[in-house]
Amino acid sequence: MTDMNEQQFANWIRAALNNGARLNARILERLRVAREHALERRRVAPLGWREPAGELAGGESENIGGFGAFSLRVVLPMVLMIAGVVGIYRWQQEQRAAEAEQLDSQLLTDDLPIDAYLDRGFEAWLKKAANR
Amino acid sequence: MRTVFATLLLALAATAAVAAPKDRGPQWASLTADQQQVLAPLQSDWPRMSKEQKVKWIGITKRYPAMKPEEQKRIQARMQNWVKLTPEQRWQAREHYRSIATKVAPDRKEQLRRYWAEYQSLSPDEKRMFDVPPSYVKPAERRQRVKQPKQEQPKPPFSLP
Repeated sequence: MTDMNEQQFANWIRAALNNGARLNARILERLRVAREHALERRRVAPLGWREPAGELAGGESENIGGFGAFSLRVVLPMVLMIAGVVGIYRWQQEQRAAEAEQLDSQLLTDDLPIDAYLDRGFEAWLKKAANR
Repeated sequence: MRTVFATLLLALAATAAVAAPKDRGPQWASLTADQQQVLAPLQSDWPRMSKEQKVKWIGITKRYPAMKPEEQKRIQARMQNWVKLTPEQRWQAREHYRSIATKVAPDRKEQLRRYWAEYQSLSPDEKRMFDVPPSYVKPAERRQRVKQPKQEQPKPPFSLP
């Protein structure tokens, strides 16, 4: 399609839309406001993160922004992270306790007395004795 | 401002958690009659124990009925000495138990007992010759060690109850 054809085609579509969209003034005004809001938000979005309270104009910002949105974005992840760390720490403690329980019950019922395992020389002596 | 507020809140929560009175675990009176009977040798030490130690001993009482009669006697005879050891000594004993007893086949336990009796018959100087780290030490250094006092015990990487 040449440039001329494209231009003609665009004019044809515009004319068709103008003819077809015969809306009353109230609807047109609402569409205009909505379009302006959409454009406004599109201009703001690429600027990156902003305070939620300022993101929406009017009454909506009271519900979505403020401390509630801040909690969701910052405080909640922090709380979840801390809860996760505490959970892992407790799980490790439980594992160690279970390990100590099993090991101690075996050690304290073993044929050899505790002194045998407290004597650092005994293990070296065992190696020597085993090699005899 | 909000970040400062949230940080303050978290700091307060952390401070409250740290400042909370330390949980010393179950009281002796709250144990069942069976648990008290098994742990009777520990009654006088019980109030000084940490919560983790108490939980561990209560766990051991659950294993107690499944033990053989001679094992039950042994554990009751040894538990008082065990709690009197330092955490470092308990760690050392566990490490040695892991490296000795768990590697010996059940049918060689008798041999292990004989080795222990044989080791016991050595003189203190002879025993000290073996009081070395597991790695090889030259004979000259060993002789030097005999003249020196015992080395400091190794510190456990973490503490078990």
